[in-house]
Amino acid sequence: MKASFRQSMAWLHTWSGLIVGWVLFAIFVTGTASYYRPDISRWMRPEFTQVEPVDAAALGAAAERAVAHLGQHAAKARTWFIGLPQADKPVLDLFWRTRPGEPPGHVLLDPRTGAEAAVRDTQGGDFLYRFHFELHMPPLWGRWVVGLCAMIMLVALISGIVTHKRIFADFFTFRRDKAPRRSWLDAHNVTGVLALPFHLMITYTGIVTLATFYMPWGVTAAYKGNAQAFFSEASWITTPRPPANRPAALAPVGPMVERARAARPEPLERLMIVNPGDANATVVAVFEEPHGLSHEHPQIAFDGVSGEILEVRDGGLKPAAKTFTVMTGLHEGHFAGPLLRLLFFLCGLMGCAMVATGVVLWSLARLPKAGERPFLGLRLVQALNVGSIAGLPAAVAVYFLANRLLPLDLAGREQWEIRAFFGAWIVAALVPLARPQRRAWCEELAAVSVLCLAVVAADLLTIPDHPLRLGGGDPLFAWFDAAMLLLAALFALAARKMLRYEAPKRDRARGAKPAPVTAPAASPARPPARRPEPTHA
Amino acid sequence: MAAQGRTTVRERASVAGRVVLAAGGGYGVAALATALLSLTLPMARSEAVATATLLSFAVMAGIVVLVFSTRTLLRALLTVGGAALVLGALLWLAMGGSRP
Amino acid sequence: MTPLVLAANLGLSFAALAALCLSLNRHHAEVFDRKAERAAVLRLRAFGWAAITLSLFVAGLWEGWAFGPVQWIGALTGAALGLVLLLSYRPRYVAPAALAALVAAALPLSILAVSA
Repeated sequence: MKASFRQSMAWLHTWSGLIVGWVLFAIFVTGTASYYRPDISRWMRPEFTQVEPVDAAALGAAAERAVAHLGQHAAKARTWFIGLPQADKPVLDLFWRTRPGEPPGHVLLDPRTGAEAAVRDTQGGDFLYRFHFELHMPPLWGRWVVGLCAMIMLVALISGIVTHKRIFADFFTFRRDKAPRRSWLDAHNVTGVLALPFHLMITYTGIVTLATFYMPWGVTAAYKGNAQAFFSEASWITTPRPPANRPAALAPVGPMVERARAARPEPLERLMIVNPGDANATVVAVFEEPHGLSHEHPQIAFDGVSGEILEVRDGGLKPAAKTFTVMTGLHEGHFAGPLLRLLFFLCGLMGCAMVATGVVLWSLARLPKAGERPFLGLRLVQALNVGSIAGLPAAVAVYFLANRLLPLDLAGREQWEIRAFFGAWIVAALVPLARPQRRAWCEELAAVSVLCLAVVAADLLTIPDHPLRLGGGDPLFAWFDAAMLLLAALFALAARKMLRYEAPKRDRARGAKPAPVTAPAASPARPPARRPEPTHA
Repeated sequence: MAAQGRTTVRERASVAGRVVLAAGGGYGVAALATALLSLTLPMARSEAVATATLLSFAVMAGIVVLVFSTRTLLRALLTVGGAALVLGALLWLAMGGSRP
Repeated sequence: MTPLVLAANLGLSFAALAALCLSLNRHHAEVFDRKAERAAVLRLRAFGWAAITLSLFVAGLWEGWAFGPVQWIGALTGAALGLVLLLSYRPRYVAPAALAALVAAALPLSILAVSA
């Protein structure tokens, strides 16, 4: 479309990157945060640190209490999901779907009594995790938007690689003291290229994780649309059994739990009860993933009425099916120990930086020269840049703050935390429209820093058994606060850099003020209409 | 696009056309290829579906790059359209020559 | 075990990437105020690639060939980021840091070698 392949790819890279840049930034930030989803969830439910973890021998009894609760409250649901108590989450996590269009049922129970757990109402890290691939939209829409953005990201990566002329010579190049466009381009290139294996991997594996949602046509063609049959033949799930439509009592699950535990070394993660109350009820015991890249859960299926083992599903995946699970496993990173997880987190941050620098670069390249009018929409783009890049971290900080500050017995507390998140984000997006560009950046970056500090303060003030107060207590709080302090420092540093950037820019503009009245026709960089200046070397 | 001057309506239409072709054509060709490969790859059914689905996104990305690097929109349209026709015909054959 | 392997990976990666970086004239001039001679360029590149390869084998042998490559790439990325930041903010420190990284990798490597 342009004179050369490289130029076409440069054009494609610029426009594809911009259109989804803001959404992509949000996806990257929440995704990066999700590497620590269990830790965030536990931090947001500080009551857990007061609860003794459940003995493995008591799991059976706990499961039966869960079933009793579900029998009362979820009798109509076709599938019950029972998350069994874990070391870092010592509660029963019950989930069920009622009817399409209605919100699913969800409750946390005390495993020792079967009553509702005395834990503050919050979605914890799950909100950020689900936002990552659903954007808090109805799942169908959200996943399509994210999928579209991911595909465009893939295109942006490919076109970016093609466009980057001196990818090896410029590998280590980061010139901070040059013109803004040069420095920001260097930053964009460095964060993109240094973590390129990660970016390519995370984008492709992200799409693959929801592959059968985005590309169901293989299942349609080869399985007449029966996805469950495909999953079962691929050895990812146990063979599904359709309901017999004859009522029959569900056998006690306690003994099933005991048999499941005895059968495998991995801890038991959850129970899935399909068609409870039916003659063909199935109870599937799902175990933790064994240590490996592949995202596979060993499963044992029990007949719900007789308690007999129907099927054991464990490994034996064929190459393509295994590739699928390895890709999903790589994306989720469950296999990573604490140090490797930190490296993944760092790579995720570099991804956020890559998207952010790219989006800023786009508007930097289209800044009007002295005397020229900015093009329509530049103001909006610049404001949205601030609103998404500084605004989203601010919203996350407010989410954490709300978790600590909202009254524990507030009705709909969970939703209020989420409203706080979006409220903060909207404010952060609107304020820059009324402020000069550089001030808007400084102020919002500084605001994020202050909010992170506020989270630490709220933590220290509202958590009675915080390590820094007692000397004992759960170290999780200390680690979380340390991370928040580090982030506060980084954002403060960024705000300061933004502030100091003002002077040189103004000097240059002042020096160039006595511009010739006649437009320099010979200069190709100043055509009558606003043409973006080349951002690619 | 012209090196100087405002982008014309014609240029904008051309770009819009490429976007539609890349998105729709890319997805369409990838979908047809996925269905076809799922039916024809010489491996177990679940393996064929898994392989085809895994590759489909690379196919889609490839079509997008192709559409934006082809010299003219018409040529891109012919290439993508042609690929879709061929894949569609092969798929029709693979599904037994008549719709169930 | 893994922290030792990771430490070795990070140290080797940093030293290797620093060597490759210094084999480029632009960065050699930033750090040493002069261009690199041909012989030095070859030595630096040879060392760089050798250290990267060694890092891969260390990761693969001790963490298996599924986790190993993943950890190897993660360490390279982390080390690369550190190097670029150091090069940008304190170019004079790059050479000493590379040597320090090499020494820092030697300790876990020797422990791993002895325990093998």
